[in-house]
Formats: sequence, structure tokens, C-alpha cells
Amino acid sequence: MEQENQGWPLPTAETEVNQQTAGDGYQVKLEFFEGPLDLLLFLIRKKKIDINDIPMAVITRDYLEYLEKKEQINLDREAEFLFIASLLIYIKSQMLLPREQEALAEDDPRQQLVDRLLEFQKIKVASSLLREKEEVELQRWRRTFRPPLEKPDELELLEVSLFDLAETFFLIMKRKERESLRIIKGKDVSVEDKLKEIIDYLGKNGSMDFLEYFSSQDSLEEALVSFFCLLELVKNHLVVAIQEELFQTIRVWLRKDKATHQIHGPGHE
Amino acid sequence: MNDQLKAILEVLIFLSQEPLTLDRIKEVLGEVPEEELQATLAALRADFNQESHGIEIIQSAGGYLFTTKPDHDQWVRRLLQIEKKSRLSSAALETLSVIAYHQPITQAEVSAIRGVDSTYSIKNLLQKKLIKIVGRKKAPGNPLVYRTSEKFLEYFGLNSLDDLPKEEEIAKILEEEKQTIS
Repeated sequence: MEQENQGWPLPTAETEVNQQTAGDGYQVKLEFFEGPLDLLLFLIRKKKIDINDIPMAVITRDYLEYLEKKEQINLDREAEFLFIASLLIYIKSQMLLPREQEALAEDDPRQQLVDRLLEFQKIKVASSLLREKEEVELQRWRRTFRPPLEKPDELELLEVSLFDLAETFFLIMKRKERESLRIIKGKDVSVEDKLKEIIDYLGKNGSMDFLEYFSSQDSLEEALVSFFCLLELVKNHLVVAIQEELFQTIRVWLRKDKATHQIHGPGHE
Repeated sequence: MNDQLKAILEVLIFLSQEPLTLDRIKEVLGEVPEEELQATLAALRADFNQESHGIEIIQSAGGYLFTTKPDHDQWVRRLLQIEKKSRLSSAALETLSVIAYHQPITQAEVSAIRGVDSTYSIKNLLQKKLIKIVGRKKAPGNPLVYRTSEKFLEYFGLNSLDDLPKEEEIAKILEEEKQTIS
């Protein structure tokens, strides 16, 4: 099974609800009725009416009463309910008309509606049976679903060379250049301060997103200095820089074994 | 009983990510008498049916497949820290039933049977790949024609469309309902 289908029934619930309320006019569900036929079946059952011999006057009155009861109006939904209402009234009027000949059995104006109702009734039952099956199947889990137990972060990493670091840096530089054309800052940034800052940052956050960190620097100069610091740290094996894939961001970690005793001595070999 | 064959079948089904069909099994195994194959499969399935097994082999969408038994759902979800899987909306399920029993069928025909515009539900079901477009009808507007998909069978644990609830079954339920009302 393809990737996107793994565990596919999972994320649907929310989207469905959202879309329903937004687009399809589900907010007017005439309480809980799926549609006009649903309502009609409900009324027929409530009155214990034989579906093959529907008293049109009674059922039409009930149906219209029900329509009047509801408060919200949604034109799309309304149309479907009104359509059946007009059908009911039409059938009723047909039955009132005097006929020249005795009506044949299959000539009953109700027949078409009855057929529809019978069919719909079957679908309702089929739906409920399928719902039961769905209920069982949703509780089965297949091997195709890969449990999200491992963090991909720790896997398949490749250590990057200084060239990769440099390349990524120039990428940032170009961006920074464009941004800070007009800004002139007199602030001096010392390599030592920056070194401390980076190590503190790493100590606190565990790791650092190379791209993010450099783009957050205030000035070009500061970014430049921090880059030198990083190169220095890598050179002295104080940190490890890792790139998951070429051209992606580079993550930097402190090397645990050396971090503690050499923090203050980088650059002086 | 051929224990070796049984073990091989277990391996083949275990490795398959989609229901493994009998044809495919035969292809892999070469010449094995049909009867022996069937009997061994049945025996293998019976093994897993025992209560001491948490997984079982089901027949789904025309093939064999390992799944966990429904009873253990909560443990799986606890391990994976996942909520209950969501069900189809009742509108979607109703639409799907209409399509399943009346396929091939157009959107307008589905809507007519339901008495409700089913455009959205059909779109939704297409997205979920529970139905598929199989062509166009030679009618005004050349509307698209829909059928249920393989995934539909898998989703409901049906081996084929023949496994859909039968007319008689439905009629029986309707009869029972009628009796409880009156």
C-alpha cells in the first residue's frame, strides 16, 4: 500500500466536520434527518402507517407541520424538503380528482413515491449493517501501519564538511546582504563573546538550527562572527554539525565528551 | 497436514501488505494441489483463531491478510497513543450504500435515490478512495459513472461485492422492525 494510505482512516474526522459545517449546509439537518425521505419514513413509522397504503392527507399535513417547526433556513436543504412536499401535495390532488374509469392497481399516483421509499428504506438498513462492519474493521490494525515510535531526527544523519557549512553560510549572507543595505551599526562583536553565546545557546537548547540561528543575527557582521565561531568550534571538535540531507539545514550539537572542559579554550591551540 | 506448507503460507501472508490472493500464492508456490492448499490455509487460519493469538488471518478484498483481532484495539491505540479511528459520516455512508447496491451509478441517480444532493458526499468518498470513476454515461451531459473500489471491500472487511448484506437479510430486518413498531 502506498505511503499516503497508511493508517488512512485516522485524520478524517475533523476535516469532515469542518467541511460539513462550512459548505454543504449540514447545519440544518432537520434535527437528525439525512433528507426528506428520511423524514417521511420517520413520520410513516411514527403513525404506524402501511407504506403501501399511505393516507396522503395525513402524511402531507404531518410533513408540512414538521417543515414549519424548524427555525433555521438553508435554501439548498430547503429545496430538497420542499420538493418532496410539493410531490406529496401533487399526489394528494391526483387522488382527489374524479376518474372516468376505475383506477387500475398500478395506476395509483402514490406508487412512484412508495417505490422510492421502499428503496430508501433498504438503503437505510444496508447502511446500518455496513456501519456494524465498519465498527469491527476499524478495530483491526494491519501491519502496513508503521508505528511512530522512533524519532526520525536521530536517524540517517550525515556529518557535513566545512564546505557544506560555508556554502550554507554564503546562502544566508546573500540574504542578509539584501536586508541590511541601509543599516550601519557601530556595534563591535568579539569572537570570544560570540563563542560563549553559542555554547550557552547549545547548552540550553541542546542543538541549534544553523539556518535559523544565522538569520536571527542582527547584522551582517554579527552573522559573520558567529560563523567564524562555529567553524572554530567544529575545528576544535567541540561541536558536531550534521545535515540530514544535502541543501537542508544543518544542526549543531555540543560534543558531550569535550564540551565541559574545553569551553573556554577554543581558538588557542 | 503439511507443516512446511503451512509455515510458508504464514510467511507469505505475513509479508504481504495487501490482501494476498490465492492466485498469487499459487504463482509463488508453483505446483501444489488445490485441495491441499485450501486445507492448509484453513488449518493455518484456525491456528490463529485460537484465543492465545492476538492476530488472525482474514479474507478481505479477495485475498488473505494478517490483522490484529478487534478485541485488542484499545491496546494498539495505547501503544501508538492514537485516538479511535474516525467513522464515515452518516451522509457518506448512506451515499456509499446507494453506490454499492446500484453500481454503476451517476451522481444524479444517487441524489435521486437519497432525495438529497450528494455531490459533496461523492467527492468525499472519492477522496477516501472508497469509490472510483469508471467512465461516463451515454446520456445528456455525459455524467461520470461511479463504482465502489477495492478499498471499499477492505474497509468493510468484505471479500467481494457478494458479501454485501443480501436483499433477504435486509428484508428480514425490516420485517422485524415492523413487528416491534406495531
